[in-house]
Amino acid sequence: MIRIQPDAWREMVAHALATYPHECCGAMLGSVDDARKTVRIALPLENASEGERERHYELRPADLLRADKEARDRNLDLVGIYHSHPDCDAYFSVTDLKNSCPWYSFVVLSIRKGAFDHANSWLPDAEQTKAEREELTY
Amino acid sequence: MAKVLIPTPLRQYAGKQDSVELSGATVGEVLTALTAQYQDLRAQLYNDAGKLRSFVNVYLNDEDIRYLEKDATPVKDGDIVSIVPSIAGGRPVMTEPAAAGLSPALSKDEVLRYSRHLIMPEVGMEGQLKLKAAKVLLVGAGGLGAPLGLYLAAAGVGRIGIVDFDVVDFTNLQRQVIHGTSDVGRKKLDSAADRMIEINPHIAIDKHEVALSSDNALDILKDYDIVVDGTDNFPTRYLVNDACVLLGKPNVYGSIFRFEGQATVFAYQGGPCYRCLYPEPPPPGLVPSCAEGGVLGILPGTIGLIQATETVKLILGIGQPLVGRLLLYDALAMRFRELKLRKNPECPVCGEHPTVTKLIDYQQFCGIPNQPAAAEATFEGDIDPVEVKAKIDRHDPFVLIDVREPFEYKIGNIPYARLIPLGELPKRLSELNPDAEIVAHCKSGMRSAKAVALLKQAGFRKVRNMKGGILAWSDKVDPSVPKY
Repeated sequence: MIRIQPDAWREMVAHALATYPHECCGAMLGSVDDARKTVRIALPLENASEGERERHYELRPADLLRADKEARDRNLDLVGIYHSHPDCDAYFSVTDLKNSCPWYSFVVLSIRKGAFDHANSWLPDAEQTKAEREELTY
Repeated sequence: MAKVLIPTPLRQYAGKQDSVELSGATVGEVLTALTAQYQDLRAQLYNDAGKLRSFVNVYLNDEDIRYLEKDATPVKDGDIVSIVPSIAGGRPVMTEPAAAGLSPALSKDEVLRYSRHLIMPEVGMEGQLKLKAAKVLLVGAGGLGAPLGLYLAAAGVGRIGIVDFDVVDFTNLQRQVIHGTSDVGRKKLDSAADRMIEINPHIAIDKHEVALSSDNALDILKDYDIVVDGTDNFPTRYLVNDACVLLGKPNVYGSIFRFEGQATVFAYQGGPCYRCLYPEPPPPGLVPSCAEGGVLGILPGTIGLIQATETVKLILGIGQPLVGRLLLYDALAMRFRELKLRKNPECPVCGEHPTVTKLIDYQQFCGIPNQPAAAEATFEGDIDPVEVKAKIDRHDPFVLIDVREPFEYKIGNIPYARLIPLGELPKRLSELNPDAEIVAHCKSGMRSAKAVALLKQAGFRKVRNMKGGILAWSDKVDPSVPKY
């Protein structure tokens, strides 16, 4: 399960609303205790997709490296990635799955007509064939 | 010694360390040393076939080793090797299997039919069901449409739409292998559909017997997952492109000319579109069509099959789609080249501030006046082939000039005519008497109309164009003259 602390959660929602109708993306830093993850800091990153950012996001590997370094510096871990689905449910799409990795939690925020609607967290498998829903609290 | 940084989730497999110091001359050696020391890490980074998992990128300092020398990239003391997953995503562009109403299973016959697909893990039952659920639209059942129709039907694409309003004729058979000799005179739609159902009765075919236009394109395209462009003219190409961008459908593009072809996938997952590559159409008449310039009969087979391959990959979601890359094929040199295509942020249809938000008049956009096709074009002072024949028989004093190329003359000619190719006409005017009555002809009447205009401009007064060219001559006067 994954728990997002209030400050981090506010940051994520604000980021998703600010980029609407484009997708946003960012890193979640926190700690892991067995399978319980706690997100303490949300780190908004740039959506580096060169295409339609309304329906696509891409994380620059250099940004991910930076997020990992940021976590190390703060004595935290990079525990997950978040992104938004503007005017679309917070499911894990085939596109999401095919470009995912099994090491992190993937939180998807559904933004409808410029307002937060709902969110889910997903754990993709290593073969990129399916993603399991992870219990999410915020 | 190089330092390998271990991402958080993998530290449990690396003795809970956040980095490991290892020696090795190359990145490959360092990674081998790492996974030898921490064997559980191996399964995280490599798949069963021993290849790095698709989402794993390896960086040396801040460079992706794919753009250096891959595994063989040399490592110096103090270098930092990072393991970075590639992460992206977004809302689906294509119909997802769950939403597409997948049939729950394949029939026994289908399992047998597709067995060579089913035994490949990259396709398998899941992939074959995706193919069955897929809906693909072929624009055109001609040179490119022929191999596309045959192979997509055979591969088991469940629903294939075809847009075409043409009739099979003898000049098609040299390359449009979906049609046979006995199909000449039939609608291409019927001929193609019969052949495809003969290959695979488990698929459905939608026949759209229309010319794709701004009025009907969105309505026809909207029901398909992927659009494959097999058209041979610029207005339809821009129309298909714009409609695909507006509807968010991938456009699998191919084009052919003489011995050369191109293919790419446009408007897919944020990639460039046709207008990013060609913002403006060429001036009308500059780029000859296959009917004017000819085409090696095999060429559309090669290009159409590249389009078919890309279509199947998009449906299955495997491999690297031909997005952002224009594949160029030269049959004479037997060479493939690739050009990088970039999405143009200023693109009027898929850019950041699009100005084209609905379909436009593509004939006008391509500078083509709304006029009847060449064979029926009526120019001032036209003369019918029957009348030309009568003049010859009456021994009327007049000059008949054939403005085609010598190789066309060899295919068939009017013995009375004098060959002066259009390109040579300006410098051979002195061979003609300005006071004589002159009739010009070509294949269908277009080039000879240019010749007539040129002669009139040069002061020739009694110049006429033989209507419909040698094709009409063959129809109306002498059927022994072959058409081409």
